[in-house]
Amino acid sequence: MITQALRRTGQWYSIPLLLLLWQFSVSSGLVESRLLPSLGRVWGALVANLDNGVLIYHTGITLSRAAAGFVLAGAIGIPFAMSMARSVTARNLFEPIFFFGYPIPKIALFPVFTYVFGIGSPSKIAFTFLECLYPIVVTSYLGFRGIPNRLIWTAQNMGTPPAATLWRVMLPAALPSIFAGLRVALPISIIVIVLTEMIGDSRGLGYYISVSGTRFEFQNVYAAMLVIGVCGFVLDRILLWLRRRMVHWEREPAA
Amino acid sequence: MLAPYLSVPSSITVALWELAADGELHPAMLSSLYRLVLGFVGGTAAGVLVGLAAGVIPVVRYFFDPLVAFLYSIPKIAFLPVFLLLFGLGHASKISIIAFSCFFPVFIASRHAVLAVNKLLIWCARNMGTPGPTLFFRVMVPAAAPQLFAGVRIGLAHAFVILFAAELIGSQGGLGTLIAEGEEAARFDLMFAGIVVFAMLGFASDRALMAIRRRVLRGQIIGTVEQVVR
Repeated sequence: MITQALRRTGQWYSIPLLLLLWQFSVSSGLVESRLLPSLGRVWGALVANLDNGVLIYHTGITLSRAAAGFVLAGAIGIPFAMSMARSVTARNLFEPIFFFGYPIPKIALFPVFTYVFGIGSPSKIAFTFLECLYPIVVTSYLGFRGIPNRLIWTAQNMGTPPAATLWRVMLPAALPSIFAGLRVALPISIIVIVLTEMIGDSRGLGYYISVSGTRFEFQNVYAAMLVIGVCGFVLDRILLWLRRRMVHWEREPAA
Repeated sequence: MLAPYLSVPSSITVALWELAADGELHPAMLSSLYRLVLGFVGGTAAGVLVGLAAGVIPVVRYFFDPLVAFLYSIPKIAFLPVFLLLFGLGHASKISIIAFSCFFPVFIASRHAVLAVNKLLIWCARNMGTPGPTLFFRVMVPAAAPQLFAGVRIGLAHAFVILFAAELIGSQGGLGTLIAEGEEAARFDLMFAGIVVFAMLGFASDRALMAIRRRVLRGQIIGTVEQVVR
């Protein structure tokens, strides 16, 4: 019991160690404290900004945009992947778009998105949708294609109607791949939202970080990063929990 | 018919030709590539080395695991103000933030790859008296290579995103600046030309990476159905 607890703390020693190092290097004056504010000041900024609601306001905006883009990409991407796997016409039509477009950095299109959808939330949501769509469609498409034929044949042999084959056989068989794609897309949605907010917006955590950086209020920058980190971690855990609930017959891969 | 901020392929081609002819495209492309390659190579090398070390040596793993678990979900572009202040507006800030953001996916992939190597292979090699270094370089690294390349590919994609954002937010020279200038001057054909060049650069470097992968893994991918996006 105690040895196990010791081993647990032994595996997490790096974070307190680095925090100590941080505190020491700031208080001894090795690093300029304007660039790296002391831990106490970061914590103070975090508490103060959570208290007066500024950080909560920006976090709410960022999270709602990321969620909108992500959910939209999932809701459209998964049926899309399914139809690509099932219909030859859809496959011939869309496979080149997704497979050639996959390695292209789509971020370069962001200026165009701002022109088409305006500078506020719609352009960010649309862009997040596009960035999340690719991993979701490609991964779930490969999952649908990888379903062993004998599963479908067996179902058809026993007289399963097409709709039931889709819902009770194909969808469950592809669920692990679908969740793999969602798990790739989730951090992308947060990254893209923060990034586009940094490029041009007046709300959201990305804006908050860039404006605090130019004002030399680096304690606020670190506080906002902390909030983003916690949000990303919690969202990932939620997705993993959902996967455990829905794909109860298969354990998730490590990490 | 068409909104003024959109453009058609023919005028984009003309704009591309114009940019190439007056010598604007060449230096912008070169400085973007310079930042990308140095940052990507640096971050990937660090990620592979530390990741392999973390896979083999528990102490290294315990040091990096909690750090990476926390930092991974933070968009690395959030560190841009810090990097800009440390390294200025020139090449150094872009190279360092690209390297920083490439490190994480590569580290995670190589750490997991080493840990996921089939234990039978290692036991066999040990049984036949393979010395430690040979075991590492001839058994573990080749066995971990396919997964490692998956991480490197994600790192490359991250590198392009960070490069574009960093050049757009604060930079001198580079394709991002070229696109932003075209946008500000309302020369949307120039903006699209820059976007096309950036996209082609990303596509070409991904293909180059996949070609290297096929060459390095040529022994391992014979007779398997490759489930990679080609």
